[in-house]
Amino acid sequence: MLLIVCPHCGPRNSDEFTYLGEPRTRPDVNDTDPATWRRYLYMRSNRNDWVTERWFHVSGCRRYLMVQRHTASNEIRDVRPLGETGS
Amino acid sequence: MSRAEANGHNARVPHPMSTTPRFSAWKLFRQGMSRAPWPRVWDHHDLEPTYDVVIIGGGVHGLATAYYLARNHGITDVAVLEKSYIGSGGSGRNTAIVRSNYLTPEGSRFYDRSVKLYEGLAEDLNFNVMFEQRGHLTLAHSDASLRTMRWRAEVNKLEGIDSSVISPEAVKELAPFLDISDRPRYPIVGALWHPPGGIIRHDAVVWGYARGANAMGAHIHQGTEVTGIDVSDGRVTGVKTTRGDIATRTVVNCTAGWSSLIAAMAGVELPITTRPLQAAVTEPVKQFLHPVIVSGSLHTYVSQTARGELVFGASVDPFASYSTRGSLEFTTGLATHVLELMPALANMSLLRQWAGLCDMTPDFAPIIGPTPVEGFLVDVGWGTYGFKAGPVAGESVADMIANERPGELIAGFGLDRFESGSLTAEKGAAAVGH
Amino acid sequence: MSPYRLDHRPGEVIDRARDLTFEWNGETHQALLGDTIASALAASGVRIFSRSYKYHRPRGILTATYHDPNLMVQVGDEPNVRAGHRRVEEGMEVDPQNAWPSLDFDIKASNRLVGRFLSPGFYYKTFMAPRPLWPAYQKVLSRFANGGVVDPETVPGRFDHRHVHPDVLVAGGGPAGMAAALAAADAGASVILVEEEPSLGGHLRYGSQQDLATLTELRDRVEPHPGIEVMTDAVVTGRFDHNWVSVVQRDVPGVTERMVKARVKCLVLAVGTLERPYVFKGNDLPGVMLSTAVRRLVNLYAVRPGDRAVVLTANTSGDAAIADLEAAGVEIAAVIDARTGGGIHEAAGSKELSSVLDSRGRRVEADLLVTATGWTTPTALSDMSGGKNVYHAESARYVPTGLPDDVMATGGMNGDGSTEQLIEHGTATGAEAARRALALRAVWVSRSPTGGSAQVTVADPQPVPPLVPAPHPAMFRASTHGFVDFSEDVTSKDIISAAKEGYDSIELAKRYTTVGMGPIQGKLEAVNALAIHGEATGIGLDDGQTTTWRPPHSPIRLGTLAGRKHEPVRYSTIQPWHEAHGAVPLLAGQWVRPDHYGDPAAEVETVRERVGIIDVSPIGKIDLRGRDVPKLLDLVYVNRWENLAIGKVRYGVMCAEDGVILDDGVTGRLGENHYMMSTTSSGAATVWNWLDEWLQTGHPEWDVKITAVTDGYASINVAGPRSRDLVARVTDIDLSPEAFPYMSVRTGDVAGVKDCFVWRIGFTGELSFEIHIPSLHGLQVWEALLEAGSDLGVGPFGIEAQRILRLEKGHFIVGQDTDGLSQGHGFGIDELIKLDKTDFAGKPELVWQAQQGDHPRLVAIQPEDPDLVPLEACQIVGPDGVIRGRVTSSRQSPTLGRSIGLAQVEPDLAVPGQVIEIRLPNGKNARARILDSHAHFDPEGTRARG
Repeated sequence: MLLIVCPHCGPRNSDEFTYLGEPRTRPDVNDTDPATWRRYLYMRSNRNDWVTERWFHVSGCRRYLMVQRHTASNEIRDVRPLGETGS
Repeated sequence: MSRAEANGHNARVPHPMSTTPRFSAWKLFRQGMSRAPWPRVWDHHDLEPTYDVVIIGGGVHGLATAYYLARNHGITDVAVLEKSYIGSGGSGRNTAIVRSNYLTPEGSRFYDRSVKLYEGLAEDLNFNVMFEQRGHLTLAHSDASLRTMRWRAEVNKLEGIDSSVISPEAVKELAPFLDISDRPRYPIVGALWHPPGGIIRHDAVVWGYARGANAMGAHIHQGTEVTGIDVSDGRVTGVKTTRGDIATRTVVNCTAGWSSLIAAMAGVELPITTRPLQAAVTEPVKQFLHPVIVSGSLHTYVSQTARGELVFGASVDPFASYSTRGSLEFTTGLATHVLELMPALANMSLLRQWAGLCDMTPDFAPIIGPTPVEGFLVDVGWGTYGFKAGPVAGESVADMIANERPGELIAGFGLDRFESGSLTAEKGAAAVGH
Repeated sequence: MSPYRLDHRPGEVIDRARDLTFEWNGETHQALLGDTIASALAASGVRIFSRSYKYHRPRGILTATYHDPNLMVQVGDEPNVRAGHRRVEEGMEVDPQNAWPSLDFDIKASNRLVGRFLSPGFYYKTFMAPRPLWPAYQKVLSRFANGGVVDPETVPGRFDHRHVHPDVLVAGGGPAGMAAALAAADAGASVILVEEEPSLGGHLRYGSQQDLATLTELRDRVEPHPGIEVMTDAVVTGRFDHNWVSVVQRDVPGVTERMVKARVKCLVLAVGTLERPYVFKGNDLPGVMLSTAVRRLVNLYAVRPGDRAVVLTANTSGDAAIADLEAAGVEIAAVIDARTGGGIHEAAGSKELSSVLDSRGRRVEADLLVTATGWTTPTALSDMSGGKNVYHAESARYVPTGLPDDVMATGGMNGDGSTEQLIEHGTATGAEAARRALALRAVWVSRSPTGGSAQVTVADPQPVPPLVPAPHPAMFRASTHGFVDFSEDVTSKDIISAAKEGYDSIELAKRYTTVGMGPIQGKLEAVNALAIHGEATGIGLDDGQTTTWRPPHSPIRLGTLAGRKHEPVRYSTIQPWHEAHGAVPLLAGQWVRPDHYGDPAAEVETVRERVGIIDVSPIGKIDLRGRDVPKLLDLVYVNRWENLAIGKVRYGVMCAEDGVILDDGVTGRLGENHYMMSTTSSGAATVWNWLDEWLQTGHPEWDVKITAVTDGYASINVAGPRSRDLVARVTDIDLSPEAFPYMSVRTGDVAGVKDCFVWRIGFTGELSFEIHIPSLHGLQVWEALLEAGSDLGVGPFGIEAQRILRLEKGHFIVGQDTDGLSQGHGFGIDELIKLDKTDFAGKPELVWQAQQGDHPRLVAIQPEDPDLVPLEACQIVGPDGVIRGRVTSSRQSPTLGRSIGLAQVEPDLAVPGQVIEIRLPNGKNARARILDSHAHFDPEGTRARG
């Protein structure tokens, strides 16, 4: 159980959150081809490193958050609301 | 000219298995009397500058591939590169359940071949892999899950696999500790019964394949980590390792949870996320549970080993990670679910928990076949099913290397399906009630 | 009675005024309150406690603690109880576990004679042929399972969980741990101090008079401290990511055991050291004990562990044991001092120790051999914290390094020192732990939504100078071979031969020999195993090879892990009525709903001919407000929404980005900027999140407010030709076809309840009104409808009748008639999918799906045999047995008097009039005909529109 310090709610157990993973850029639906679109649907970088990913505080403030987490240690160094930029 | 030679492979004469002394009860007795040491099961080798085939990952998939390359195709100029010790990844961390009652015809056929290979493996490898076909029960707790069980049973029957839906009373006869009353939150309303399913000693499978491959000339390099893959003009030319570089034209990625990282070295992107899958074992008690018990709704599977321990597994962790540390919520949730099924186990104690890394694909089916980089083959995306498939995957990959095209059994499991959109229907099974 | 009980000892923990009686192996024994099962039996002179796993060798006390591999017993219906730890209770029934027919005479002990053939992994090398005999071999092998018995009638105890958030948690209540707790609490931190034994003190408890005085002084400061919560007979079983720490409390009144889940800001490990056994021939004989075992028995329980002792000592613990034994009246037959070159060759005896042969060839008669040959750092918790163990050759033990900033180590785990030095180090560690914890607390409190947030990282950690482990001779194995793992019966010879066979990394050897895999989990044997494996491989202990200790640190009962049962279910507010009227419950996801009230076919008839009411409260309801709601609807549904007029409702289907059908339902426009969306009951949460995701991650600028109101409304569908008559009796809303046409929504009072809204829709195919009532009043409206319609023949209907009704109409259910590959086209909703819309979820996939056209089709089927209902999920096969589709829904239709169904089939089969073959579970085929529409009944839909 990770501890995610929600910028709105404070330190909370990770079972209050839904994990959404790597943010992906949605291709223009009217100007795409199967290879591009399915790359968006299925391909993942799946890095073993610091990653920035989306979590959703589903049982709290119900806000989407950007979380910087290391996928080996699970250490979290930054959590911020969607749209905020940070280190 | 053999087929292997025709394909440009160097068909070294395989060392016959007979050069490795056979194991038997008589041999055990003689060794016991003489107290002479047993011969080595596999050898140390220097890293050769070239190999016909380089297999990355010394788990059951990589070792089985090496074994079948030699045994079925005479291809023995093969290196298996393992960054740690053989079987240190998923092969040594799974819950050792073998079954073939999958939902799709292609899945059922594929895993049925694996069960058949497992049935003959001890004799084939001359290494007792302790396959116990105790039968496999998948419990249904609702109408919806019963419907899925029937779906699987009907598909399985059409593929000639022993699989049927049975009543709660029949379930109770097979596993008397199960609570089939209507008291539980998740009552047992029936089950899928699959007699050929069972458990096996997973380490023995790894060691048996390693010993067999070694005896026929494959080089197993433990403590050898791949640090790079050389690609030139769209094809593989070599592999860099912590012990030196290898020139080769065929590289197979058999690294399960690490497969995205290895593929990235060749510039290949995979539709995979790595999720820890946790498991746990209790202290041993006297035998009381014969079949393997699975509850999809409760995300739990349970079997009792010959040593008397209960081995438990669950579903993958809720977020991607390369951590194998395990979590507390896994064991608390697991215990809740096990006691929901078998309340009399409250005083059994959980002894040890661990995690392995699963390479999850969007459709819960593997990816076996070529990639956009010529000569770079993948045998990945096994998710939570990798161990079950070890023998058939090894056989299929070896066949694919020798014949330079994927065989019929794996035709539906290519990487290109994620571009064409022809995902396998195991995704269908995952989306409806378990 | 208790011939080995000593006179009063100053540190004893037994209450001599409290006699207890218990059963061991069918015989009655005496104990004193405070005795462990092992100490009480030792006081009676019992020497054999168990038989070993493989060779069934007799085994006695080794460590006299929880972690004693030889002291696993059955207590009533509880297997594998630690007799070195569990306190005797009055009337307890204790039995040995691994002996047949008896402890004294064990038939399987004949395995000892064939031991040379039971080499490690022997089973991998035999039993392979003939293959038909393998099941018989399995049975024989599994008889050897080494443990207690699970009683099928076990009555689970009461188990509980507790959540705590201390600033500092200290694992281990010895001198360093107590000092750390005091220092941290004095600095203002909230502290939990966890001690495995029933009282604080650690090794001071069985120490000298001076140790006891120090202990009393520390304890008198710790126990009343307002900042410290002391948990005794409790053990830290695990440390998980972000300092999530589990503690099992065994002595909480009112519960069998309690698990404490602690989110700790700084964890202090003060778990001391474990004494390491020595490997030599006969080292497992009853009578061979560790020095700390002897000291515990004598000083805590006032038990004389033998009559005549040989002591092998390499440290002060051995020396202290000699003094304790002398004080206890045990004759010291010989002292072998390893520090001056003394050594041991073998311990001998048939069932118990009778003599010791030292390395100089001297044989000494003795019934007790005490070994004090070194210490093992129990690094389980530091391993779980991500620490690395480094071998410290001078002290011949591992020390943890590289701990994260929120975990610190003190006491014996960190190094050695006098009691004063240990306390000093504990104090410094506790103060620093408090500083780190309080700094973290301050960061969390001062977080702001726009400032980002610091996580578990501690700023500015100050190191505490470590204690230095004291020099100690490196002693793992004598010149002879003996047992390394007592629970698994693995000898030093086994490990060496495995290494030579090729299992030459310690992890391979561990798996092959099973050393360290038993109930003690390597705590006693891991370092010896590493050292002995290294003898064969040449890998030194300092070569960085260790095995990882995995959680839990100590075994945990499944009951304790599970705690109280928390499996919540959801009921509608009308549930009391259902229960009072014989509803048969159906578990549907989280919801418990009425499946039927006794006769589903009659309920169908009620709806088709008169009027029925069904509780559909679990339907997902999402309130949407704002100017941009239509834009959001257009994005998530495949159909068009911008032109929905106020007062109208529309059916919609949602697809995911891969084009697969996600959910369906109706959405109505209640006001200018006010919409109400309904979803399937199982999809309610998913759709709610899905809407938020599109809004927040895609279009945060849109004016849309999303509120889930599923629980806010009870929902009743009133269906049947007389539904208008019925509803009209309880509402002032004008229900006339002109004022309230099909696919409309109206708001108003129903049965005196304000703020209801009513859809006019028809899942059942009948004229129907779906009434949504503020949920507290659901039961009131339900009863009002039944009362008002008694002369109309109104009756309740359940889910089963609803399923039949909708199947008669051919309406699909998402997740039953569709599956995880079902993209939008092919399910009778092709017309709905507006590929000319600018954008919506899954649009590209649906464009390509329509172009390819080879997708499965959902069709209505009717078996040729009208009484045959092919079970749902039966496969549709071609003449060659190849699968070409499957039955997704099937029922006997009371309305049509025949079997009906829906099926997914390959496109070329989806031809009206086509006859298909269905493979039944009994292996026979049944023929069925494909209809020209999905509806088996009223295909024109005139009834619902009436």
